[in-house]
Amino acid sequence: MARRTRNVGRVLAAAFAALLAYLAVVQVIWGPQLAASPENPRLALAAERINWGRILDRRLAVLADSTGTGSSQVRRYPEGPVFAHVLGYRSRRYGLTGIERRYDLALLGLPVTDPWEALQEAMGRTPEGNDVVLTVDSAVQQAAVQALGGRRGAVVVLDPRTGAVLAMVSRPNYDPATVDAEWASLSRDAQAPLFDRATQGQYPPGSSFKTVTLTAALGSGRVGLADAVNCPVAIDVGGVAIHNFEHEQFGQISVLQAFVASCNTAFVQIGQRTGAAAVLAAARAFGLGQAVPFDLPTSAGYLPPLRDLGRRGLAQISFGQGSLLVTPLQMALVAAAVGNAGIMMRPFLVSQIRAPDGRILQTVAQRGSRVVMSAPLAARVTRAMIEVVRSGTGTAAQVPGVTVAGKTGTAENPHGTTHAWFIAFAPAQGPTVALAVIVENGGVGGQVAAPVARQVLAAALAAQAAAGGRP
Amino acid sequence: MTVAAPPAPRSAALPWTARRATERLLLVAAGILGGLGMAAVHLALYPAESWDPVIAGGIAMAGFLVVHAALVVVDNLGDEVLLPVAAALSAVGLVMIYRLRPDYAVRQAAWISLGLTSLLIALGTLADLRWVRRYRYLCASVGLVLLVLTVLVGVERNGARQWLVIGSFTLEPGEIVKLLLVAFFAGVLVETRPLLTLPGPRRWRSEAGRLGPLLLVCVGALLLLVFQHDLGLAMLYYGMFLAMLYIAIGRLDHVVAGLLAFAAGASLCYHWFAHVRVRVDVWLNPWADAAGRGYQILQGLFALASGGLTGAGLGAGHPELIPASYTDMIFPAIGEELGAIGTFMVTALYLLFLGRAFRAAMEADGPLAMLVGAGLAAALGIQTFVILGGSTRLIPLTGIPAPFLTYGGSAAVSNFIAVALMLAISDRGRRAAAEGPDGSTHS
Repeated sequence: MARRTRNVGRVLAAAFAALLAYLAVVQVIWGPQLAASPENPRLALAAERINWGRILDRRLAVLADSTGTGSSQVRRYPEGPVFAHVLGYRSRRYGLTGIERRYDLALLGLPVTDPWEALQEAMGRTPEGNDVVLTVDSAVQQAAVQALGGRRGAVVVLDPRTGAVLAMVSRPNYDPATVDAEWASLSRDAQAPLFDRATQGQYPPGSSFKTVTLTAALGSGRVGLADAVNCPVAIDVGGVAIHNFEHEQFGQISVLQAFVASCNTAFVQIGQRTGAAAVLAAARAFGLGQAVPFDLPTSAGYLPPLRDLGRRGLAQISFGQGSLLVTPLQMALVAAAVGNAGIMMRPFLVSQIRAPDGRILQTVAQRGSRVVMSAPLAARVTRAMIEVVRSGTGTAAQVPGVTVAGKTGTAENPHGTTHAWFIAFAPAQGPTVALAVIVENGGVGGQVAAPVARQVLAAALAAQAAAGGRP
Repeated sequence: MTVAAPPAPRSAALPWTARRATERLLLVAAGILGGLGMAAVHLALYPAESWDPVIAGGIAMAGFLVVHAALVVVDNLGDEVLLPVAAALSAVGLVMIYRLRPDYAVRQAAWISLGLTSLLIALGTLADLRWVRRYRYLCASVGLVLLVLTVLVGVERNGARQWLVIGSFTLEPGEIVKLLLVAFFAGVLVETRPLLTLPGPRRWRSEAGRLGPLLLVCVGALLLLVFQHDLGLAMLYYGMFLAMLYIAIGRLDHVVAGLLAFAAGASLCYHWFAHVRVRVDVWLNPWADAAGRGYQILQGLFALASGGLTGAGLGAGHPELIPASYTDMIFPAIGEELGAIGTFMVTALYLLFLGRAFRAAMEADGPLAMLVGAGLAAALGIQTFVILGGSTRLIPLTGIPAPFLTYGGSAAVSNFIAVALMLAISDRGRRAAAEGPDGSTHS
C-alpha cells in the first residue's frame, strides 16, 4: 500500500512537472509574442501613459501634435480637415485610422519588433513617442484641396523618381480632431466623408486607360503611332454599336491622333489589333487589379480575367469601360511609370522616424521599383501624352513654361454624370511630379479634371523649385 | 518526488525549545515573506490607507506560531515542513488578495485564523482516526445532504451553483464534502480491502457488490455536481476516488476502467450539456470569442505572458483585468506580477507540500491512517493541479479554489483540517515506528 501511495504521488508529481514546463513556455518563450497581441488590453493601458509623437510634413511643418500628458492628452490637427485621410484620426472610442494607426507604435516610441518589451522599459521614465515625418508637402496638399473645391473626388500627387507621395486628397473630408463629437453625422453621411477615395475609391478609368491600351499596342509591335486607323461615329462589335463621345468622328487618322482626340471607336480597333492578352498583360504590368502595397490600406480595383473577356469585353476595356475598376492612386502610378522611363517606384508616405530630440532613427528614400515597360516605349507613350495637353483633349492642363504630358478620361458609370479623370506628369522630359485627378460625376475630364491638374502641377513644381529641386 | 528522510523520532524528554526547531525556523521565514509582501503592497498601492490589512495579516501569520506552540506542547512528532509550507502559500495568497481586492484582505486574514483554529480543534478531536471507521456512513450521508442542499437552495456565482447562504455567511460545501468523502472512502475501503485482495479468481460482479456503497455515493456525488455545473469538484472527487481505490486494492484494471468511464462520461457531458461544451471549446480556442467567453482565459494567458520571467512587480501589473483574479484566476495574477519565478516558487511549494503529505501517508501507522493520509494528499494534489492547470489553459478551466492561496473561508477550514489530520497521521506513524512492531522502544 505504501508503494501504491508513492505511485499516486509520482503521477501527481509528473502532472506538476508538466505544469512547470508549460509555464516556462507560456511565460518565457511565448511570453513576449503573446503579450504583444492586440487583444491584450495592457498594451493600450500602457500606451495611455506615453506622450504621442507628432506627425510632420516634408518641411517639418506640424500636421498633428498633442497637448497635455499621458491619459489626458488631446490630439490636435493644425491643418484641420486638409490632411484628414492621410493622417486619419486617433479616437479613444472609435480607434485609429490612417498614419495614426499604421505608425501607432512609432508614435508611441515602441519598436515594431517587440513593443511589449519596449513598453516595460518605458515604464521607468516619462515616455515620449517618436515623430513621424511624411513625404507630403503642405503647399501642394492645400493647392489640391482648393483646386477640388467642394466637389467629390480625389487627387494623388507623386514624385515619379522616388514614389514619394506629395499630396493625397479625398473629398469630402472631415476634421480628425472632432471625429468623436461628429461621429454620428460623419458615419451616416451618404457622401461617405470618412472613406478615403484616393486609395480605396474604385472607379471605371474611362479614356485615361487608353494610356495602358496604347502602351500595350505599341509594345506588341503590331501597332505604330503613325499607323492609320478609322474613327467612325460608331462601330459594331458583336452586334452592339459602340459610340464615340458626343458622336464625334474624325475619319481616317493616325493612332497618335486617335489618342490625342481620344477616339473610342479607333481604340476599339487598336485593342483588337493588339489582342486581349497583351492589353491585360500591360494593365497587370501597371499594377492594375492588385492592391498597391502602401502605408495606408488600398483597394485592388478590378481587372477582368482573360477567359471572361469576349469580343465586347475587349472592345470596352480598350477605352477604359466595361468591368474595369481602378483607384486614383493606381492611375497616378500609371502616369508616374510612363514619366519615369517605364519604371514604377513603389509609393510611400513616411520618409523619416525622428526621436523627440530630433535624432533621425529611420529614413526611407524609396521602397523599391518595378519595370513596367522599356524606356524607348515609355518615350513613345510620353510623346503621345505631351500631344494630348499641347493640342488635344487636355489643353486645360497646360502650365506656362513647362511641358505637361497627360491623358483625359470621361468615365461612364452607373451613378449618373460621367466621372472626370485626368492623369499627368511634368516636366514631360524628366518629370518630378505625376498625378491623378478624379472628380466624381464631374463631367468631361478635359474640362473639369484637367484644370484641377493644372493648378496642382503648378503648385507642386513651384514648391519643388522653392526647395531647390531636391526630391 | 524525493523527500528528505524524516528526522529520527525523539522522546518526550526533549526540552521544549529543541522540539520542532525546523518548523519554527521555516515559519519565521514564511512570516517574513508575508510581512514584507503585505508591506510592499501597502506602500506601493495604498500608502494613504489604514494599515489594518497588514496588521490583520501579521496576526494571521502569528496564528501559525500559536499552532506551532500547541504542537510543541503536545509533543507532536509529525512532519515539520507541512505547516510552514501551508503558511508560505497562505502568505502569498493573502498578499495577492490585498493587492487585488484590498477590501477582502482583512477578511481573508480572518479566514486563515479561522482555519488555524479549526486545525487546533481537529488536532484535539480527530487525531484518533477510529471515528473514520465508525462514522463512515454518517460522513457520506452528511456529504450528500450538503450537495443536495446546494443543488436545491444553493446560490449561483460565476456560473456554478456552489454556495450555501446561512445568515450573512456563504458556505462552499464542496470543500467540506471533500474531507467527508475522503473519510468515507477510507472507512469503506479499509473494510472491503481484505476481501478484495484475497488470492483467487477475480469476479467483477462480486467486486461490484462489495464496492457497491462506494460506487453509489461516488456516482451520486458526481451526478449532483454535474447538475450544479461544478465540474471542478466533480473531477476532484472522482480523482480522489480512483486514487484511493487504487491504493487500497491495488488493481490497475480498476483504474483503467475508471479512466474509461471518465472518458465516456466526459464525452457524454460534452454532448449533453452546453456549459461543458462551452468550457471545452473555449479551452481549445479562446481566440474564437476573444471578447466574450474566451475573455477570462485569454486575460489569464496575457497576464502570464506579460509577467515574463521576472514579473511586473507587486502592484505594477494589471492582474485586475482578469475576471475572478482573486479566486479562480489567482495563479495567473501571481504570474503577471511575480513572473515565472513566482509561479515556479508557488508550484514548488505545492510540490514540497505534496511530497511531505504523501511521505506522511506512507509512514502511517496502519492501513486506515495510510488511506486517510493518501486520500487527503491526493485530494489536495488533484485540486491544485485542476485549478493551476485550468487557470493557465493547460487543461479546461473549472472553478475550484487553489488550496491555501485562494480567497475563501470554507476552503481555509477544510484545508487546515486536512493539515491537522496529516500532522496527526505523521505523528502516530513515527511514534509507532519508534516503538517498533513488538512494542519495544529502539532509538
